[in-house]
Amino acid sequence: MAIIAVIEKEFRMFFRYPLRVFSSILVGIVFLLQFVFFGQAVLGGRYSQLLASSTGIGDYPTYALVGYVLWWLSVSPMEAYVWGIRRELQRGTFETNIAAPVRITELLLGIALSWLIMDSLLMTVVFAFGALIFHISITFSILLKSLPVLMLSFLAFLGFGFIFAGLVMMLKHIGPFAQIFEFSMLFFSGIFFPLGVMPGIVVEFSKILPLTHSVSAIRGIFIGKSYSEIAPSITWLILLVFVYWLIGYAIFRWAERVTRVMGYGGY
Amino acid sequence: MKAIEVRELRKSYPKKIPLPFRKVQWVEAVRGISFEVRRGELFGLLGPNGAGKTTTIKMLTTLLEPSGGTAAVLGHDIRRDAREIRKRINLVAEGERTLYWRLSAYENLKYFARIYYVPKSEEKERIEGLLKLVGLWERRDDLIMNYSRGMKQRLAIAKALINDPEVLFLDEPTLGLDVQSALFVREFIRKLVDEQKKTVLLTTHYLGEAEELCDRIAIIDHGRIIALDTPEGLKRLVKGEDAVEIKVRDFPAEKLEKFPWKLAVVKENTERGTVTLRGQVDEDDLPKVVELLVKSGSRILSVEQKEPTLEDVFIKLTGRD
Ligand SMILES: Nc1ncnc2c1ncn2[C@@H]1O[C@H](COP(=O)(O)OP(=O)(O)OP(=O)(O)O)[C@@H](O)[C@H]1O
Ligand SMILES: [Mg+2]
Repeated sequence: MAIIAVIEKEFRMFFRYPLRVFSSILVGIVFLLQFVFFGQAVLGGRYSQLLASSTGIGDYPTYALVGYVLWWLSVSPMEAYVWGIRRELQRGTFETNIAAPVRITELLLGIALSWLIMDSLLMTVVFAFGALIFHISITFSILLKSLPVLMLSFLAFLGFGFIFAGLVMMLKHIGPFAQIFEFSMLFFSGIFFPLGVMPGIVVEFSKILPLTHSVSAIRGIFIGKSYSEIAPSITWLILLVFVYWLIGYAIFRWAERVTRVMGYGGY
Repeated sequence: MKAIEVRELRKSYPKKIPLPFRKVQWVEAVRGISFEVRRGELFGLLGPNGAGKTTTIKMLTTLLEPSGGTAAVLGHDIRRDAREIRKRINLVAEGERTLYWRLSAYENLKYFARIYYVPKSEEKERIEGLLKLVGLWERRDDLIMNYSRGMKQRLAIAKALINDPEVLFLDEPTLGLDVQSALFVREFIRKLVDEQKKTVLLTTHYLGEAEELCDRIAIIDHGRIIALDTPEGLKRLVKGEDAVEIKVRDFPAEKLEKFPWKLAVVKENTERGTVTLRGQVDEDDLPKVVELLVKSGSRILSVEQKEPTLEDVFIKLTGRD
């Protein structure tokens, strides 16, 4: 299958430079430490009554670690498009790919999937590191129970990211715009502080972001909730999978038509 | 069936992204061209920068939507049957970076074999055969970024043969190569047509290359085909007319436009301040040309009669080099 070839190619190029892999992990860890220590400094300790009452998790490092790792994964497909595809557009390799009989959607998905898998590997290391230094106890059953929710989240993230696939083909340089978007997701999905402290309208808006529900479901699993207790989040996620795949695909089809008029290189 | 059939093909590019409700201006790049390429033919599109060569290739390889006219490759409409066409053709695009520099030659070909649906059972043999054919087998595991320009181009050609295409499109295949590499590439292309019976459409702005290599040539300028024939046929256009090369010093180039003869600058040596002009000038007119040049302040260094070449056809048709 062509998609496997795309993934293999992306992996080869990424892991060819061990130093880059190492620095990516380092960036992930430094970023995490900053947020957790900052949060603890403000709270004056690792436990927060406000967090406990509004989200069920009172332990700030656990709260932040789960949110942070999922946030990183949720923006991975977006990053794959706005940086990965843009790089190929700029260099000209994208056109070499398009000229092949493989479907463009397969190429684009392959790239997002590669980045998502690579980021998952990086985040596994970051997560393990965070769990270790903040003494977060994780059981095997929590991990096992999180897995299906994680897969469902990935589906939603891929669909959400696909919106950017079409946009980058057509508009080329949207990295800075996407970055604003990525960081505002930190804000709007309750990654480092509970959504409850935000105005009602923000809380409503946050519901259309897959990350919000993914984070809330997995945090639920971490404090021992059963699937039926996190059913609302899962229902939302399933709904958003369909919504974003549809929107993403529609935008892609339109962008592809426009791009074929302008040319895939062209700058 | 013809390998390629082009009827009144047109292309305009929007100056801005054509979003709904946005008024955009369009630039005409190809203004209605028609030609046919037979199977097993080596056909050349010859034209200066901006003539519309790349635009034409991109439309025929289904990478770009035409604005008007029709074209068929191997009997398939380029608008409707893009996928079918892509399976049976391939191209070497313009530019140096059409392959992955961070992969080795072998890894690049393996990747493209997969996205061209080369049967798994043939993959290994085909890649090995191609790498040997272009002389890169020994260097197969080196990253492309360490390749010379010539090696990169040879690999781009190997990639273009990965699906054993019936029609091959080559956009300025020798651009930027040194003499040795360019020679290799030209001989290689000729062999593809003679020995493997491939159909090749190539673009070039080197007259010598087109003359030496192509079975037929279409001269394209400002998006229009202004002549189409065999190299011999094209040269007949200037037969009987003498080509003259005049080498001068201190030549004011802006004067050339007002000359009543079509002369073009074919060589310029800025270090020495000399310029070589070329064009068709009758024996009777020659003294007048020389006189005019002298009057405009230049010093004549030499005047030579030359055999007419494709260059003279080009100068005659376009008024420039
Ligand atoms: N993507 C694009 N958007 C807008 N205009 C373009 C685009 N590509 C080409 N053009 C314009 O179309 C015309 C034809 O360009 P094209 O690249 O086809 O010429 P060419 O014959 O390949 O020239 P060169 O020898 O420079 O490669 C030029 O005027 C060029 O500026
Ligand atoms: Mg060109």
